[in-house]
Amino acid sequence: MSKPHAIVIGAGFTGVAIAHDLALRGFAVTVVERGPIINGTSGRTHGLLHSGARYAVNDQESAIECIQENQILRLIVPDAIEPNGGLFIGITDEDMAYREKFIEGCAACGIPITELSPKEALRLEPNLNPKLQTAFTVPDGTFDPLRLALAFAASAKANGAVFHLYTDVVDLLSDGQGNIVGVKAWDRAADKRFEIQGDIVVNATGAWVGKITAMAGISVPITPTPGVMVAYDKRLTQRAINLLNKPGDGDIVLPQRRMMVVGTTSFTIEDPDYVPVYEDHVRLMMERGANLIPALRQTRERGAYMATRPLIGASAPGRSISRTFKAYDHKESDNVEGLVTITGGKATTLRLMAEKTVDLICKKMNLNIPCTTAETPLLSYRKFYVN
Amino acid sequence: MTEEKWTVKFVIFRKKGDQPPRYDSYVLEVKPDEYVIDGVERIWAFHDRSLIFAHACHHSTCGACGMRVNDVEKLTCITKIRDVTTNGGTIKIEPLRNFPIIGDLVVDMTRMYAAMDRVHAKAVHPLSAAPLEGEGIRPPREVPRNNGDEYLRLADCIECGLCISACPVAGTAEEYLGPAVLAAAQLQGLKHNPDLLDLVDCANGLWRCHSAYECTAVCPSNVDPGWRIMDLRRQVVGERIRRWFAKA
Amino acid sequence: METPKKPNSRGIFDWFDPRGRNVGGWGFIINRLSAIGLTVYLYLHLYMLGKLAQGPEAFDAFIETAKTPLIMFGEMLVIIAGLYHGFNGLRIALNSFGIAVPAQRQLLYGVVGITLIGTVVFGVRMLTAH
Repeated sequence: MSKPHAIVIGAGFTGVAIAHDLALRGFAVTVVERGPIINGTSGRTHGLLHSGARYAVNDQESAIECIQENQILRLIVPDAIEPNGGLFIGITDEDMAYREKFIEGCAACGIPITELSPKEALRLEPNLNPKLQTAFTVPDGTFDPLRLALAFAASAKANGAVFHLYTDVVDLLSDGQGNIVGVKAWDRAADKRFEIQGDIVVNATGAWVGKITAMAGISVPITPTPGVMVAYDKRLTQRAINLLNKPGDGDIVLPQRRMMVVGTTSFTIEDPDYVPVYEDHVRLMMERGANLIPALRQTRERGAYMATRPLIGASAPGRSISRTFKAYDHKESDNVEGLVTITGGKATTLRLMAEKTVDLICKKMNLNIPCTTAETPLLSYRKFYVN
Repeated sequence: MTEEKWTVKFVIFRKKGDQPPRYDSYVLEVKPDEYVIDGVERIWAFHDRSLIFAHACHHSTCGACGMRVNDVEKLTCITKIRDVTTNGGTIKIEPLRNFPIIGDLVVDMTRMYAAMDRVHAKAVHPLSAAPLEGEGIRPPREVPRNNGDEYLRLADCIECGLCISACPVAGTAEEYLGPAVLAAAQLQGLKHNPDLLDLVDCANGLWRCHSAYECTAVCPSNVDPGWRIMDLRRQVVGERIRRWFAKA
Repeated sequence: METPKKPNSRGIFDWFDPRGRNVGGWGFIINRLSAIGLTVYLYLHLYMLGKLAQGPEAFDAFIETAKTPLIMFGEMLVIIAGLYHGFNGLRIALNSFGIAVPAQRQLLYGVVGITLIGTVVFGVRMLTAH
């Protein structure tokens, strides 16, 4: 029997992880991406390898996914990660009121934390706000978004996956009965149009999933929710610094090479293709970031950017929607065979999203092939380019 | 910051497949404190969906968005429009030199990745091997170690290829390792990596460098390849003398 | 995308394109130009020495033409090229031992300064000698 052929639309975190998982399970894989690897939301991530502590109180499903995936990624892709840990710091009395819930939540989710005295915390990270009342160590990390994605893509490529970058999916191919059998593509590098036939099409376009499903006349409940992040030109900590409180704007500050990155805000939009970086959001990042690390005020802005999270659900306020993910088999939901959509989630859970999606695909196609991505170290990101 | 608006003409290098290259112009209303990549992305979003360009992180940690902006290699995500033109002015954007063009502003940097692989350049360094010298405010390198493990940090070099594009000899010597690669070799040191000696001590290694120091001038990421190449020469000469005496 | 293609380079033209380049790049351009100039001069010089073999008349006739302003200007260029290339060579050699690399720009200004002073000295001597 020849290999089943899967077409993955989108080379964001989800797309490259799915391509890797599919290729490892013996599928022939073709990835179609309209830009370079992770040019959309994935590239413009904060870079926080979540310990899950951020979600331990309000969204424990996400929190448990995060801590498990955090530990797996450290092992399979050490090339892209600074595993230096993180701190949650409480400054105001309001922050301190969150302390008990935080300790309980982390315990419930299996996230190892240790409480430090202000003095100990300042010894570890001398640039923290000296007014802090408490601090918790958490197993956060930071990652390099492009190299994380390239490691998955390189491993997929080594197992035979083919990548069509700078190639738009302009339409879905239908068998005449409304079932999807492939894609119509436009290679913008060479300005050529062609068709790809496949046994299954995986829509992994994140905040853009609606644009693809619309080609099959289907709508998916998704809320594109952008947020602004700002990078400053000095590295002031070794760990990711979080505010000990429920998730809010500008409450994560983390080191990235010789920078500090502060994020993020949260608002909803209709079309994620281009969202401007709003100046008031940029100012807010400095204000909130300096609450955690006052020395940030002595740095200069190096970059400001915006990324659109694909949150599941329709038009609810951004912070209250779960950060977990969902895979849809459109056969079940819309009676359209041959199309699977995966969206939601976060960078830290990219491997798990792929596992669940490919599990769904295998079940659909009556294949019984276990997932091995959690135990398979990834190739160096450079192998995406170098054979 | 005010709501200051500028009108800027973007002149963009275009090339598709085997077709001859051309330049397309787009007049945009921009804020001077926006970054060049924002303008390029808007051209794609609102003016011309056929444009291709590389970008990912938009804050200089990935190295994808290197381009030639008004004849100078720039990481476009951290280059403010204000710093490269004036109100009513022009921004010329071209792909990096010395790499094959995939299309429009995108180049194939396999040459550099392959060479980085040959010198086993590391993506993550222990803090002791890659100290954060020159950081003004209470440098965090003084902090105690993390439960006995060393702190790790992502390498300074983001493999953006700007240095290879700016190098005047890289264009006439395709096999030249290039500034980023030699800098990566220097960072590891010949003392601990003697196998690098023959790789760098050759005509297409560090003796191809002709000291134009353009690599250092364009490096957006504190690598200073010019200094590192010269330091590697010093190491190579020292190592050769040592080996000569050991033989004698 | 997979097929290897020619790099985007204009070959040796890129050696001499000063647009967007910095001090070190200008140093490189002048170094290359002076090297090519000196190589061309070397062949002219050998040709001139060849005149000696043709007897004293041929050589004297050549020396007469050598006193024309155009040739004297050419000789000045040789001196400028020789001084610049020689002293820049010292700068690069120094740098290549890892010495004074951060000061490469100032060293280059020094090389240019020495070249200018040397040029003036030789120029005055040349004019007074004739």
